[in-house]
Amino acid sequence: MAPTTDMAAAAAAAIVPNDFSRVLAQRERRFAAALLAPAFLALLATTTFPLMFLVWTSAFRMDLAMPFANGFVGFENYQALLTDERFWSSLLLSLVYTASTVVLQVVIGLALALLVMDMKRGQGWFRLIAILPVVLSPAVVGMIWRTFMLAPEFGIVDFLAINAGIGSKNWLGDPLLAMVSVIAIHTWQWTPFAFMVLLASLAALPEDIYEAARLDRATAWQRFRRITLPLLRPAIVMVIIMRTMVALTAFAAIFTVTAGGPGTATEILNLYAYRKSFTELSIGYGSALAVALLIVTVIISGVLFALRRAK
Amino acid sequence: MSARRVRMFALIAISLVFLLAWAFPIVWSVLNSLKTDPDVLAYPPKLIFSPTLDAYRDVLFGSGSILPNLVSSIVISVGTTIVTMLMAIPAAYALARLRFRGKKFAGFYVLATQMLPPVGIIIPYFLVLRNIGWIDTYQGIILIYLSFSLPFAIWLLVSYFEDIPFEMEEAAYLDGASRLRTLRRIIIPQVRGGIAVTVVFVFLNAWNEFLFAVVLSGNTVRPVTVAMFNFVSVEQTLWAKLAAVSVLAMLPVVALGVVAQKHIVKGLTVGAVKGGGRR
Repeated sequence: MAPTTDMAAAAAAAIVPNDFSRVLAQRERRFAAALLAPAFLALLATTTFPLMFLVWTSAFRMDLAMPFANGFVGFENYQALLTDERFWSSLLLSLVYTASTVVLQVVIGLALALLVMDMKRGQGWFRLIAILPVVLSPAVVGMIWRTFMLAPEFGIVDFLAINAGIGSKNWLGDPLLAMVSVIAIHTWQWTPFAFMVLLASLAALPEDIYEAARLDRATAWQRFRRITLPLLRPAIVMVIIMRTMVALTAFAAIFTVTAGGPGTATEILNLYAYRKSFTELSIGYGSALAVALLIVTVIISGVLFALRRAK
Repeated sequence: MSARRVRMFALIAISLVFLLAWAFPIVWSVLNSLKTDPDVLAYPPKLIFSPTLDAYRDVLFGSGSILPNLVSSIVISVGTTIVTMLMAIPAAYALARLRFRGKKFAGFYVLATQMLPPVGIIIPYFLVLRNIGWIDTYQGIILIYLSFSLPFAIWLLVSYFEDIPFEMEEAAYLDGASRLRTLRRIIIPQVRGGIAVTVVFVFLNAWNEFLFAVVLSGNTVRPVTVAMFNFVSVEQTLWAKLAAVSVLAMLPVVALGVVAQKHIVKGLTVGAVKGGGRR
Protein backbone atom coordinates (compact mmCIF):
# COMPACT_ATOMS: atom_id res chain seq x y z
CA MET A 1 0.00 0.00 0.00
CA ALA A 2 2.91 2.34 0.72
CA PRO A 3 3.68 4.46 -2.34
CA THR A 4 6.95 3.57 -3.99
CA THR A 5 8.19 7.12 -4.46
CA ASP A 6 7.63 10.42 -2.78
CA MET A 7 6.22 11.69 -6.06
CA ALA A 8 3.41 9.18 -5.83
CA ALA A 9 2.95 10.14 -2.20
CA ALA A 10 2.73 13.77 -3.17
CA ALA A 11 0.04 12.93 -5.72
CA ALA A 12 -1.85 10.94 -3.11
CA ALA A 13 -1.54 13.80 -0.68
CA ALA A 14 -3.57 16.05 -2.92
CA ILE A 15 -6.52 13.73 -2.48
CA VAL A 16 -6.24 12.46 1.12
CA PRO A 17 -3.86 14.67 3.11
CA ASN A 18 -4.43 12.83 6.40
CA ASP A 19 -3.58 9.42 5.04
CA PHE A 20 -0.59 10.81 3.29
CA SER A 21 0.98 12.32 6.36
CA ARG A 22 0.29 9.17 8.33
CA VAL A 23 1.98 7.00 5.74
CA LEU A 24 4.88 9.37 5.56
CA ALA A 25 5.25 9.48 9.33
CA GLN A 26 5.16 5.71 9.45
CA ARG A 27 7.82 5.41 6.79
CA GLU A 28 9.95 7.92 8.65
CA ARG A 29 9.58 5.90 11.85
CA ARG A 30 10.58 2.68 10.13
CA PHE A 31 13.55 4.33 8.49
CA ALA A 32 14.62 5.78 11.83
CA ALA A 33 14.30 2.40 13.51
CA ALA A 34 16.44 0.77 10.85
CA LEU A 35 19.11 3.43 11.17
CA LEU A 36 19.15 3.30 14.95
CA ALA A 37 19.02 -0.47 15.35
CA PRO A 38 22.72 -1.39 14.95
CA ALA A 39 24.00 1.35 17.28
CA PHE A 40 21.36 0.72 19.90
CA LEU A 41 21.81 -3.03 19.85
CA ALA A 42 25.54 -2.47 20.34
CA LEU A 43 24.88 -0.03 23.17
CA LEU A 44 22.48 -2.45 24.82
CA ALA A 45 25.06 -5.21 24.57
CA THR A 46 28.02 -3.13 25.77
CA THR A 47 26.40 -0.95 28.44
CA THR A 48 22.93 -1.99 29.57
CA PHE A 49 23.57 -5.71 29.63
CA PRO A 50 26.85 -5.35 31.59
CA LEU A 51 25.06 -3.09 34.05
CA MET A 52 22.39 -5.69 34.73
CA PHE A 53 24.96 -8.45 34.94
CA LEU A 54 27.04 -6.28 37.29
CA VAL A 55 24.13 -5.81 39.68
CA TRP A 56 23.45 -9.55 39.51
CA THR A 57 27.13 -10.37 40.19
CA SER A 58 27.16 -8.04 43.17
CA ALA A 59 24.68 -10.38 44.88
CA PHE A 60 27.17 -13.24 44.75
CA ARG A 61 30.24 -14.27 46.55
CA MET A 62 32.49 -14.78 43.57
CA ASP A 63 36.11 -15.34 44.39
CA LEU A 64 38.29 -16.40 41.49
CA ALA A 65 40.95 -17.47 43.95
CA MET A 66 38.54 -19.57 46.05
CA PRO A 67 35.83 -20.79 43.66
CA PHE A 68 34.62 -23.48 46.10
CA ALA A 69 33.15 -20.82 48.40
CA ASN A 70 31.15 -19.08 45.66
CA GLY A 71 27.41 -18.67 45.94
CA PHE A 72 24.44 -16.37 46.16
CA VAL A 73 24.67 -14.01 49.12
CA GLY A 74 21.93 -11.46 48.46
CA PHE A 75 22.79 -8.09 49.93
CA GLU A 76 25.70 -9.35 52.00
CA ASN A 77 28.30 -7.60 49.84
CA TYR A 78 26.52 -4.31 50.38
CA GLN A 79 26.27 -4.91 54.12
CA ALA A 80 29.98 -5.63 54.23
CA LEU A 81 30.58 -2.48 52.24
CA LEU A 82 28.87 -0.29 54.85
CA THR A 83 31.32 -1.35 57.53
CA ASP A 84 34.34 -1.47 55.21
CA GLU A 85 36.73 1.28 56.25
CA ARG A 86 38.68 0.94 53.03
CA PHE A 87 35.47 1.66 51.10
CA TRP A 88 34.72 4.83 53.04
CA SER A 89 38.26 6.09 52.76
CA SER A 90 38.27 5.39 49.01
CA LEU A 91 34.98 7.24 48.67
CA LEU A 92 36.44 10.19 50.53
CA LEU A 93 39.55 10.10 48.32
CA SER A 94 37.30 10.05 45.24
CA LEU A 95 35.47 13.15 46.43
CA VAL A 96 38.70 14.94 47.32
CA TYR A 97 40.32 13.97 44.03
CA THR A 98 37.29 15.01 41.98
CA ALA A 99 36.57 18.27 43.78
CA SER A 100 40.17 19.45 43.82
CA THR A 101 41.00 18.53 40.22
CA VAL A 102 37.78 20.03 38.85
CA VAL A 103 38.12 23.27 40.82
CA LEU A 104 41.78 23.63 39.83
CA GLN A 105 41.02 22.97 36.17
CA VAL A 106 38.20 25.48 36.02
CA VAL A 107 39.94 28.22 38.02
CA ILE A 108 43.28 27.96 36.20
CA GLY A 109 41.60 27.34 32.86
CA LEU A 110 39.34 30.37 33.22
CA ALA A 111 42.11 32.67 34.48
CA LEU A 112 44.34 31.65 31.63
CA ALA A 113 41.55 31.99 29.06
CA LEU A 114 40.87 35.54 30.25
CA LEU A 115 44.57 36.31 30.07
CA VAL A 116 45.08 34.85 26.62
CA MET A 117 41.88 36.48 25.33
CA ASP A 118 43.50 39.88 25.84
CA MET A 119 46.72 38.93 24.11
CA LYS A 120 47.32 40.54 20.76
CA ARG A 121 49.96 38.04 19.74
CA GLY A 122 50.85 34.50 20.72
CA GLN A 123 47.31 33.15 21.07
CA GLY A 124 48.15 30.55 18.47
CA TRP A 125 50.92 29.13 20.63
CA PHE A 126 48.52 28.62 23.48
CA ARG A 127 45.97 26.95 21.29
CA LEU A 128 48.62 24.64 19.87
CA ILE A 129 50.40 23.73 23.11
CA ALA A 130 47.10 23.25 24.97
CA ILE A 131 46.17 20.44 22.61
CA LEU A 132 49.22 18.35 23.49
CA PRO A 133 48.29 17.15 27.00
CA VAL A 134 44.64 16.43 26.20
CA VAL A 135 45.35 14.14 23.25
CA LEU A 136 47.76 11.98 25.23
CA SER A 137 46.85 8.71 26.87
CA PRO A 138 46.49 9.17 30.64
CA ALA A 139 48.54 5.98 30.96
CA VAL A 140 51.46 7.53 29.07
CA VAL A 141 51.08 10.79 30.96
CA GLY A 142 51.16 8.88 34.24
CA MET A 143 54.25 6.99 33.17
CA ILE A 144 56.12 10.14 32.14
CA TRP A 145 55.33 11.89 35.39
CA ARG A 146 56.14 8.89 37.52
CA THR A 147 59.58 8.60 35.97
CA PHE A 148 61.05 11.65 34.28
CA MET A 149 59.19 14.27 36.33
CA LEU A 150 58.84 12.87 39.85
CA ALA A 151 61.74 10.44 40.26
CA PRO A 152 64.04 11.47 43.09
CA GLU A 153 66.86 13.88 42.15
CA PHE A 154 66.97 13.65 38.34
CA GLY A 155 63.19 13.96 38.03
CA ILE A 156 62.57 17.55 37.04
CA VAL A 157 60.07 18.33 39.77
CA ASP A 158 62.41 16.99 42.42
CA PHE A 159 65.34 18.81 40.82
CA LEU A 160 63.39 22.07 41.02
CA ALA A 161 62.37 21.31 44.61
CA ILE A 162 66.01 20.76 45.57
CA ASN A 163 67.04 24.02 43.94
CA ALA A 164 64.15 25.89 45.50
CA GLY A 165 65.42 24.80 48.91
CA ILE A 166 62.50 22.48 49.61
CA GLY A 167 64.76 19.50 49.31
CA SER A 168 64.32 16.12 47.67
CA LYS A 169 60.93 14.59 48.46
CA ASN A 170 59.51 11.14 48.07
CA TRP A 171 56.73 12.39 45.80
CA LEU A 172 55.06 9.04 45.28
CA GLY A 173 56.11 7.25 48.46
CA ASP A 174 54.68 9.68 50.98
CA PRO A 175 50.90 9.18 51.37
CA LEU A 176 49.98 12.86 51.35
CA LEU A 177 52.46 13.87 48.65
CA ALA A 178 51.34 10.94 46.50
CA MET A 179 47.76 12.23 46.60
CA VAL A 180 48.96 15.75 45.81
CA SER A 181 51.00 14.34 42.92
CA VAL A 182 48.14 12.43 41.29
CA ILE A 183 45.89 15.48 41.66
CA ALA A 184 48.57 17.66 40.09
CA ILE A 185 49.06 15.23 37.21
CA HIS A 186 45.33 15.11 36.44
CA THR A 187 45.18 18.89 36.64
CA TRP A 188 48.19 19.21 34.35
CA GLN A 189 46.63 17.01 31.72
CA TRP A 190 43.10 18.38 31.71
CA THR A 191 43.35 22.09 32.50
CA PRO A 192 44.02 22.73 28.78
CA PHE A 193 40.61 21.21 28.07
CA ALA A 194 38.86 23.72 30.37
CA PHE A 195 41.10 26.44 28.95
CA MET A 196 40.21 25.66 25.34
CA VAL A 197 36.48 25.37 25.97
CA LEU A 198 36.36 28.57 27.99
CA LEU A 199 38.55 30.46 25.53
CA ALA A 200 36.22 29.48 22.69
CA SER A 201 33.22 30.56 24.77
CA LEU A 202 34.86 33.87 25.60
CA ALA A 203 35.57 34.50 21.95
CA ALA A 204 31.90 33.88 21.16
CA LEU A 205 30.63 36.50 23.63
CA PRO A 206 29.06 39.59 22.02
CA GLU A 207 31.45 42.52 21.81
CA ASP A 208 28.85 45.28 22.11
CA ILE A 209 27.94 44.55 25.74
CA TYR A 210 31.54 45.22 26.70
CA GLU A 211 31.51 48.35 24.60
CA ALA A 212 28.45 49.58 26.51
CA ALA A 213 30.01 48.65 29.84
CA ARG A 214 33.14 50.58 28.95
CA LEU A 215 31.06 53.63 28.08
CA ASP A 216 29.40 53.29 31.48
CA ARG A 217 32.87 53.26 33.04
CA ALA A 218 32.51 49.81 34.51
CA THR A 219 35.75 48.60 36.08
CA ALA A 220 37.50 45.49 34.81
CA TRP A 221 36.33 43.59 37.89
CA GLN A 222 32.73 44.76 37.37
CA ARG A 223 32.87 43.72 33.74
CA PHE A 224 34.11 40.29 34.75
CA ARG A 225 31.67 39.85 37.63
CA ARG A 226 28.56 41.29 35.95
CA ILE A 227 29.03 40.39 32.30
CA THR A 228 31.63 37.73 31.62
CA LEU A 229 30.81 35.37 34.46
CA PRO A 230 27.02 35.27 33.94
CA LEU A 231 27.43 34.86 30.18
CA LEU A 232 30.05 32.18 30.64
CA ARG A 233 28.06 30.32 33.27
CA PRO A 234 26.58 27.69 30.93
CA ALA A 235 30.01 26.87 29.54
CA ILE A 236 31.57 26.73 33.01
CA VAL A 237 28.86 24.42 34.29
CA MET A 238 29.30 22.22 31.22
CA VAL A 239 33.02 21.97 31.86
CA ILE A 240 32.37 21.13 35.50
CA ILE A 241 29.92 18.38 34.59
CA MET A 242 32.15 16.84 31.93
CA ARG A 243 35.28 16.97 34.07
CA THR A 244 33.52 15.63 37.17
CA MET A 245 32.34 12.53 35.33
CA VAL A 246 35.87 11.89 34.09
CA ALA A 247 37.55 12.56 37.44
CA LEU A 248 35.21 10.16 39.26
CA THR A 249 36.26 7.35 36.94
CA ALA A 250 39.91 8.38 36.58
CA PHE A 251 42.01 5.27 36.38
CA ALA A 252 45.02 5.08 34.11
CA ALA A 253 46.96 8.08 35.39
CA ILE A 254 46.66 6.90 38.99
CA PHE A 255 47.19 3.24 38.17
CA THR A 256 50.42 3.90 36.30
CA VAL A 257 51.78 6.39 38.83
CA THR A 258 50.97 4.88 42.23
CA ALA A 259 48.62 1.95 41.50
CA GLY A 260 46.55 3.31 44.39
CA GLY A 261 49.47 3.31 46.81
CA PRO A 262 51.43 3.76 48.89
CA GLY A 263 49.10 1.34 50.69
CA THR A 264 45.71 2.79 49.84
CA ALA A 265 46.76 6.46 49.96
CA THR A 266 45.63 7.24 46.40
CA GLU A 267 43.06 4.49 46.03
CA ILE A 268 39.96 6.30 44.82
CA LEU A 269 36.74 4.25 44.70
CA ASN A 270 37.26 3.43 41.03
CA LEU A 271 40.68 1.94 41.75
CA TYR A 272 39.41 0.09 44.80
CA ALA A 273 36.73 -1.61 42.67
CA TYR A 274 39.39 -2.56 40.13
CA ARG A 275 41.90 -3.85 42.66
CA LYS A 276 39.26 -5.82 44.55
CA SER A 277 38.07 -7.45 41.34
CA PHE A 278 41.25 -8.02 39.38
CA THR A 279 44.09 -8.01 41.91
CA GLU A 280 42.35 -9.63 44.87
CA LEU A 281 39.99 -11.48 42.52
CA SER A 282 36.87 -10.88 44.66
CA ILE A 283 34.61 -10.23 41.69
CA GLY A 284 31.36 -10.20 43.69
CA TYR A 285 32.50 -7.61 46.19
CA GLY A 286 34.25 -5.66 43.44
CA SER A 287 30.92 -5.52 41.58
CA ALA A 288 29.21 -4.12 44.67
CA LEU A 289 31.91 -1.43 44.80
CA ALA A 290 31.34 -0.63 41.12
CA VAL A 291 27.60 -0.31 41.75
CA ALA A 292 28.37 2.02 44.66
CA LEU A 293 30.53 4.11 42.32
CA LEU A 294 27.68 4.24 39.80
CA ILE A 295 25.28 5.41 42.51
CA VAL A 296 27.72 8.11 43.62
CA THR A 297 28.15 9.19 39.99
CA VAL A 298 24.40 9.39 39.42
CA ILE A 299 23.85 11.40 42.61
CA ILE A 300 26.62 13.87 41.82
CA SER A 301 25.54 14.33 38.22
CA GLY A 302 21.96 14.79 39.41
CA VAL A 303 23.11 17.61 41.65
CA LEU A 304 25.19 19.16 38.87
CA PHE A 305 22.39 19.01 36.32
CA ALA A 306 20.04 20.63 38.84
CA LEU A 307 22.68 23.30 39.26
CA ARG A 308 22.70 23.83 35.52
CA ARG A 309 18.94 24.28 35.33
CA ALA A 310 18.85 26.64 38.35
CA LYS A 311 19.30 30.28 37.44
CA MET B 1 52.56 54.00 31.87
CA SER B 2 55.18 52.03 33.69
CA ALA B 3 52.59 50.25 35.83
CA ARG B 4 51.05 49.06 32.61
CA ARG B 5 54.44 47.92 31.40
CA VAL B 6 55.00 45.92 34.58
CA ARG B 7 51.58 44.36 34.20
CA MET B 8 52.31 43.43 30.62
CA PHE B 9 55.59 41.77 31.52
CA ALA B 10 53.94 39.93 34.37
CA LEU B 11 51.31 38.60 31.98
CA ILE B 12 53.91 37.50 29.48
CA ALA B 13 55.88 35.79 32.25
CA ILE B 14 52.80 33.96 33.53
CA SER B 15 51.83 32.80 30.08
CA LEU B 16 55.34 31.58 29.38
CA VAL B 17 55.32 29.60 32.62
CA PHE B 18 52.11 27.86 31.60
CA LEU B 19 53.25 27.17 28.06
CA LEU B 20 56.44 25.70 29.45
CA ALA B 21 54.58 23.66 32.07
CA TRP B 22 52.38 22.06 29.43
CA ALA B 23 55.03 21.46 26.85
CA PHE B 24 57.92 20.49 29.09
CA PRO B 25 57.01 16.94 30.20
CA ILE B 26 56.47 16.03 26.56
CA VAL B 27 59.63 17.71 25.31
CA TRP B 28 61.58 16.18 28.18
CA SER B 29 60.39 12.69 27.26
CA VAL B 30 61.52 13.26 23.69
CA LEU B 31 64.95 14.44 24.89
CA ASN B 32 65.29 11.49 27.26
CA SER B 33 64.42 9.09 24.47
CA LEU B 34 67.49 10.37 22.60
CA LYS B 35 69.82 9.79 25.55
CA THR B 36 71.69 6.85 26.99
CA ASP B 37 70.59 5.60 30.41
CA PRO B 38 73.49 7.31 32.26
CA ASP B 39 72.55 10.60 30.56
CA VAL B 40 68.91 10.19 31.63
CA LEU B 41 70.00 9.58 35.22
CA ALA B 42 72.54 12.41 35.31
CA TYR B 43 72.28 14.99 38.06
CA PRO B 44 71.81 17.86 37.43
CA PRO B 45 69.58 16.89 34.45
CA LYS B 46 71.34 17.25 31.11
CA LEU B 47 69.92 19.53 28.47
CA ILE B 48 73.02 19.23 26.31
CA PHE B 49 74.09 15.72 25.37
CA SER B 50 75.07 13.78 22.31
CA PRO B 51 71.80 12.38 20.94
CA THR B 52 71.49 8.75 19.92
CA LEU B 53 68.72 6.66 18.39
CA ASP B 54 69.86 3.55 20.27
CA ALA B 55 66.78 3.47 22.51
CA TYR B 56 64.48 3.49 19.49
CA ARG B 57 66.49 0.82 17.73
CA ASP B 58 66.32 -1.38 20.82
CA VAL B 59 62.60 -1.02 21.51
CA LEU B 60 61.66 -1.46 17.86
CA PHE B 61 64.06 -4.17 16.71
CA GLY B 62 65.75 -5.52 19.84
CA SER B 63 64.54 -8.43 21.92
CA GLY B 64 61.16 -7.70 23.46
CA SER B 65 60.36 -5.43 20.52
CA ILE B 66 57.20 -3.37 20.89
CA LEU B 67 56.41 -3.54 17.18
CA PRO B 68 53.70 -6.19 17.79
CA ASN B 69 52.20 -3.88 20.41
CA LEU B 70 52.14 -0.96 18.01
CA VAL B 71 50.39 -3.25 15.54
CA SER B 72 47.90 -4.20 18.26
CA SER B 73 47.22 -0.55 19.01
CA ILE B 74 46.72 0.22 15.33
CA VAL B 75 44.40 -2.74 14.69
CA ILE B 76 42.33 -1.95 17.78
CA SER B 77 42.06 1.76 17.02
CA VAL B 78 41.32 1.40 13.32
CA GLY B 79 38.87 -1.44 13.97
CA THR B 80 37.05 0.49 16.66
CA THR B 81 36.88 3.57 14.45
CA ILE B 82 35.41 1.72 11.46
CA VAL B 83 32.79 -0.20 13.46
CA THR B 84 31.86 2.88 15.47
CA MET B 85 31.41 5.10 12.43
CA LEU B 86 29.35 2.50 10.55
CA MET B 87 26.91 2.41 13.46
CA ALA B 88 27.07 6.01 14.65
CA ILE B 89 26.50 7.85 11.36
CA PRO B 90 23.04 6.39 10.66
CA ALA B 91 22.03 6.61 14.32
CA ALA B 92 23.12 10.23 14.61
CA TYR B 93 21.28 11.11 11.42
CA ALA B 94 18.08 9.56 12.74
CA LEU B 95 18.40 11.36 16.07
CA ALA B 96 19.14 14.69 14.44
CA ARG B 97 16.76 14.73 11.48
CA LEU B 98 13.94 12.23 11.70
CA ARG B 99 10.69 12.36 13.64
CA PHE B 100 9.71 9.28 15.57
CA ARG B 101 8.21 8.40 18.90
CA GLY B 102 10.69 7.92 21.73
CA LYS B 103 13.29 10.13 20.12
CA LYS B 104 13.88 12.08 23.31
CA PHE B 105 14.28 8.90 25.26
CA ALA B 106 16.69 7.50 22.68
CA GLY B 107 18.84 10.62 22.93
CA PHE B 108 18.76 10.46 26.69
CA TYR B 109 19.70 6.79 26.63
CA VAL B 110 22.81 7.50 24.56
CA LEU B 111 23.90 10.09 27.12
CA ALA B 112 23.01 8.02 30.13
CA THR B 113 25.21 5.15 28.97
CA GLN B 114 28.19 7.47 29.37
CA MET B 115 27.53 7.72 33.07
CA LEU B 116 28.29 4.07 33.63
CA PRO B 117 31.77 3.78 35.18
CA PRO B 118 34.12 1.77 32.93
CA VAL B 119 35.09 -0.44 35.86
CA GLY B 120 31.41 -1.40 36.13
CA ILE B 121 31.45 -2.52 32.50
CA ILE B 122 34.72 -4.41 32.57
CA ILE B 123 33.89 -6.66 35.52
CA PRO B 124 30.87 -8.37 33.88
CA TYR B 125 32.53 -8.26 30.47
CA PHE B 126 35.59 -9.96 31.79
CA LEU B 127 33.41 -12.82 33.10
CA VAL B 128 31.51 -13.15 29.82
CA LEU B 129 34.55 -12.93 27.54
CA ARG B 130 36.41 -15.43 29.69
CA ASN B 131 33.56 -17.89 29.22
CA ILE B 132 33.49 -17.57 25.46
CA GLY B 133 37.27 -17.41 25.14
CA TRP B 134 37.44 -13.85 23.85
CA ILE B 135 40.02 -12.57 26.30
CA ASP B 136 43.16 -11.51 24.43
CA THR B 137 41.28 -11.17 21.12
CA TYR B 138 40.71 -8.16 18.90
CA GLN B 139 36.96 -8.71 18.66
CA GLY B 140 36.67 -8.73 22.46
CA ILE B 141 38.47 -5.42 22.90
CA ILE B 142 36.83 -3.70 19.93
CA LEU B 143 33.38 -4.78 21.10
CA ILE B 144 33.85 -3.29 24.53
CA TYR B 145 35.41 -0.12 23.14
CA LEU B 146 32.04 0.56 21.50
CA SER B 147 30.69 1.23 25.01
CA PHE B 148 32.48 4.58 25.09
CA SER B 149 33.16 5.33 21.43
CA LEU B 150 29.56 4.94 20.23
CA PRO B 151 27.81 7.38 22.60
CA PHE B 152 30.55 9.90 22.02
CA ALA B 153 30.49 9.58 18.23
CA ILE B 154 26.69 9.69 18.05
CA TRP B 155 26.52 12.76 20.23
CA LEU B 156 29.23 14.58 18.30
CA LEU B 157 27.76 13.68 14.90
CA VAL B 158 24.25 14.77 15.90
CA SER B 159 25.56 18.29 16.39
CA TYR B 160 26.99 18.28 12.86
CA PHE B 161 23.86 16.79 11.27
CA GLU B 162 21.74 19.47 12.92
CA ASP B 163 23.68 22.16 11.10
CA ILE B 164 22.61 21.11 7.58
CA PRO B 165 19.69 23.04 6.14
CA PHE B 166 16.54 20.96 5.67
CA GLU B 167 16.02 22.32 2.14
CA MET B 168 18.75 20.08 0.77
CA GLU B 169 16.89 16.95 1.78
CA GLU B 170 13.52 18.24 0.65
CA ALA B 171 14.89 19.07 -2.78
CA ALA B 172 16.29 15.55 -3.06
CA TYR B 173 12.97 13.97 -2.07
CA LEU B 174 11.12 16.08 -4.61
CA ASP B 175 13.50 14.76 -7.22
CA GLY B 176 12.30 11.31 -6.30
CA ALA B 177 15.35 10.13 -4.40
CA SER B 178 14.79 7.51 -1.73
CA ARG B 179 15.61 8.25 1.89
CA LEU B 180 18.65 6.01 1.96
CA ARG B 181 19.94 7.45 -1.29
CA THR B 182 19.40 10.98 0.00
CA LEU B 183 21.30 10.12 3.14
CA ARG B 184 24.20 8.65 1.21
CA ARG B 185 24.41 11.11 -1.65
CA ILE B 186 23.22 14.40 -0.18
CA ILE B 187 23.49 14.39 3.61
CA ILE B 188 26.69 12.50 4.33
CA PRO B 189 28.82 14.58 1.93
CA GLN B 190 27.51 17.64 3.79
CA VAL B 191 28.90 16.43 7.11
CA ARG B 192 32.23 15.14 5.79
CA GLY B 193 34.03 17.59 8.05
CA GLY B 194 32.10 16.45 11.10
CA ILE B 195 32.74 12.83 10.22
CA ALA B 196 36.46 13.50 9.91
CA VAL B 197 36.52 15.19 13.33
CA THR B 198 34.61 12.28 14.85
CA VAL B 199 37.00 9.78 13.29
CA VAL B 200 39.93 11.63 14.84
CA PHE B 201 38.32 11.62 18.29
CA VAL B 202 37.26 7.99 18.18
CA PHE B 203 40.72 6.96 17.04
CA LEU B 204 42.38 9.02 19.80
CA ASN B 205 40.15 7.58 22.51
CA ALA B 206 40.69 4.02 21.31
CA TRP B 207 44.46 4.50 21.02
CA ASN B 208 44.62 6.00 24.51
CA GLU B 209 42.32 3.58 26.33
CA PHE B 210 43.92 1.72 29.21
CA LEU B 211 41.53 0.14 31.75
CA PHE B 212 39.76 -2.25 29.34
CA ALA B 213 43.03 -2.99 27.59
CA VAL B 214 44.88 -3.90 30.77
CA VAL B 215 42.16 -6.37 31.77
CA LEU B 216 41.47 -7.91 28.36
CA SER B 217 44.92 -7.99 26.80
CA GLY B 218 47.25 -10.94 26.78
CA ASN B 219 50.20 -12.18 24.80
CA THR B 220 48.52 -11.86 21.41
CA VAL B 221 46.71 -8.56 21.79
CA ARG B 222 48.53 -6.04 23.93
CA PRO B 223 48.37 -2.38 22.95
CA VAL B 224 51.38 -0.18 23.52
CA THR B 225 49.82 1.65 26.52
CA VAL B 226 49.88 -1.67 28.36
CA ALA B 227 53.16 -2.96 26.93
CA MET B 228 54.87 0.17 28.29
CA PHE B 229 54.96 -1.59 31.65
CA ASN B 230 57.56 -4.04 30.31
CA PHE B 231 60.11 -1.28 30.77
CA VAL B 232 59.43 -0.54 34.42
CA SER B 233 59.73 -3.36 36.89
CA VAL B 234 60.50 -3.61 40.55
CA GLU B 235 64.09 -4.59 39.80
CA GLN B 236 64.92 -1.96 37.26
CA THR B 237 63.62 0.73 34.97
CA LEU B 238 64.93 0.90 31.41
CA TRP B 239 64.85 4.67 31.32
CA ALA B 240 65.78 5.60 27.77
CA LYS B 241 63.73 2.76 26.32
CA LEU B 242 60.73 3.76 28.38
CA ALA B 243 61.09 7.29 27.04
CA ALA B 244 61.31 5.95 23.49
CA VAL B 245 58.18 3.84 23.94
CA SER B 246 56.32 6.78 25.46
CA VAL B 247 57.26 8.93 22.50
CA LEU B 248 56.14 6.24 20.06
CA ALA B 249 52.83 5.99 21.93
CA MET B 250 52.43 9.78 21.83
CA LEU B 251 53.48 10.25 18.22
CA PRO B 252 50.25 9.34 16.39
CA VAL B 253 47.94 11.19 18.75
CA VAL B 254 50.07 14.32 18.88
CA ALA B 255 50.37 14.28 15.09
CA LEU B 256 46.58 13.95 14.76
CA GLY B 257 46.07 16.63 17.38
CA VAL B 258 48.34 19.12 15.65
CA VAL B 259 47.07 18.39 12.13
CA ALA B 260 43.41 18.56 13.16
CA GLN B 261 44.08 21.40 15.61
CA LYS B 262 41.16 23.67 14.75
CA HIS B 263 38.69 20.83 14.47
CA ILE B 264 39.82 19.33 17.73
CA VAL B 265 38.97 22.52 19.54
CA LYS B 266 35.60 22.52 17.84
CA GLY B 267 35.03 18.89 18.71
CA LEU B 268 35.77 19.57 22.35
CA THR B 269 33.71 22.69 22.52
CA VAL B 270 30.78 22.00 20.26
CA GLY B 271 28.57 20.98 23.16
CA ALA B 272 29.69 23.54 25.68
CA VAL B 273 29.64 26.58 23.41
CA LYS B 274 26.15 25.89 22.21
CA GLY B 275 25.09 26.06 25.83
CA GLY B 276 22.84 23.07 25.38
CA GLY B 277 25.74 20.73 25.69
CA ARG B 278 24.90 17.09 26.02
CA ARG B 279 21.28 17.06 25.18
